[in-house]
Amino acid sequence: MRRVVIRGLKLAGAGGTAGGTSSLNNGRYEPRNVTIYETEVPGVGHKFELEIDGDERLVVIIHHDGKRDVYRRPDPDADSEQLFSLTGKQARQLGSILEGAYFQPVELDEVEVPLGEAIIEWTEVGADAPVVGQSIADCDIRSRTGVSVMAIQRGEETIPNPGPDATIETGDVLVTLGSREEHSALSDLVED
Amino acid sequence: MAASLVEIGIALAAVALAGLAANRVGLSVIPAYIVAGILVGPEWPTEVLGVSLQLVAYGEFIAVAAELGIVFLLFFLGLEFSVGQLLADRKRITKAGSVDFLLNFGAGVALGVLFGRTPLETLLIAGVVYISSSAVVTKSIIDRGWVANPEAEPILGTLVFEDIVIAVYLALVAALLTGAGDLAGAAMDVARAFAFLGAVAVVAWYGTDYVERAFDLPNDELFLLHVLGATTLVAGAALATGVSEAVAAFFVGTAFSQTPHTERIEDVVAPVRDLFAAVFFFAIGLTTDVTVLAGVAALLAVAVVLTTGTKLVSGTIGGRVYDLSPTRSLRTGIGLVPRAEFSLVIATLAAGAGGTLADVVPAFTVGYVLAMSVLGTVMIQHADRLTDSLAPLVADVTGE
Repeated sequence: MRRVVIRGLKLAGAGGTAGGTSSLNNGRYEPRNVTIYETEVPGVGHKFELEIDGDERLVVIIHHDGKRDVYRRPDPDADSEQLFSLTGKQARQLGSILEGAYFQPVELDEVEVPLGEAIIEWTEVGADAPVVGQSIADCDIRSRTGVSVMAIQRGEETIPNPGPDATIETGDVLVTLGSREEHSALSDLVED
Repeated sequence: MAASLVEIGIALAAVALAGLAANRVGLSVIPAYIVAGILVGPEWPTEVLGVSLQLVAYGEFIAVAAELGIVFLLFFLGLEFSVGQLLADRKRITKAGSVDFLLNFGAGVALGVLFGRTPLETLLIAGVVYISSSAVVTKSIIDRGWVANPEAEPILGTLVFEDIVIAVYLALVAALLTGAGDLAGAAMDVARAFAFLGAVAVVAWYGTDYVERAFDLPNDELFLLHVLGATTLVAGAALATGVSEAVAAFFVGTAFSQTPHTERIEDVVAPVRDLFAAVFFFAIGLTTDVTVLAGVAALLAVAVVLTTGTKLVSGTIGGRVYDLSPTRSLRTGIGLVPRAEFSLVIATLAAGAGGTLADVVPAFTVGYVLAMSVLGTVMIQHADRLTDSLAPLVADVTGE
């Protein structure tokens, strides 16, 4: 049996390349040895055992014909359970997914919001709202709440970038850009 | 020509159907191929409901194809023989392998003596009951998932040890069987055999670079033909000089095992091995007269019971050498119970020797292999019941 110790980084999810590292959880880059045991299985192919957490091991059998059987052994006394079996092609696809080459996830905390503090929200205009029937200029939404109206959705129709004389009606959905506080002010103004 | 073609067609179809049936019930294909040969061969049963069952004769074509089966079984044994693994784990492999040899070969010797067999017959019977079947064992431990467990290590380690023993054993026995009657003549034959095989082994060991370059061929067709040509030629030359062709093929295999060509051989040449090996097992069936089995029934019955026991014990000790739990140690023993292809290779040597040797040993071996390949597979499939009842006993004996 050959024992291969890969001195490297603890593999804690992908995304290590995304942006700054300051907000990533501590310990991600803690060096850790991943031990892989390799054995020849005569007439079959090769067997690899990976230590995962503690005593748990993943066992991969690569057959000469390219088939891969993947087993998991929860602890040294347990029997290995076969998790799945893949053809060579499927295994390479799965491998690239696991490696992060197929799809590189971006940590949510890391998303750079292009709008700064601002968010976009959809707010429905209530029947009794004081702004019903008024134009955007008349009700002066911008200075009363702080949000900018980017569009008005009226039924199936969308009025993009409405001018100051566009009127607001019951049931309209206002698509607006602004901070959370500004949006809560808008909600107070137009909802019932 | 048409008649021969039909005959070979019947042979291949019988083998195909037998293999399918064995697969359906989860058994090894090897006993199924033998039974197919018995059914359509010249010996009993000769007819069913008035329809002749003497469909395939043991002709020259089948005989040569069967011979190629032996050559390529041993070639692959050599190819898959891992010197690295042996050296890395030599202490444990040697311990487990020695116990396996002493108990099982010893049991064979005891059987021969007990049943009043000649020394040569005893030597052959001991070889037959000693060697486990790499093919059946490997397939069974994959089907059962043990291949991913720690018990795979002593099982595969013991098989590696058996590979070396069988190479030396075959060389020795082949020389003894073809040799002159007197002791000096036999010694000369053995010496000559080992000189020839030594030369092949030296080429295999030091010629790796040359083999690697010579077989670096642009397409699979050329590659296949080169490997078949080289192997068959060396094996044929060995046989012509009175040396075991099987062992010569084994060493040709080891010459390839150190090169990067192993994967390609597994891809391209393995189907050829499968074809000829199937014909080899089928041919064993063709030449088997089941009625002769009655003459060796007592020996057979005792051998099956005794050597199932000795493999269980030796394998369990082997598992303990690897510090495995009682259950896993028992599985090591159960896993090594099947005997098949290499026992039959030994029997083929006896069949070629003539005399009473050619009657007793092959008949015994066919009966023994049919029993042990099926029994071994079934024991592996139902191992949990065995280990549950035997594990406390093993724990007691080993003081855990």
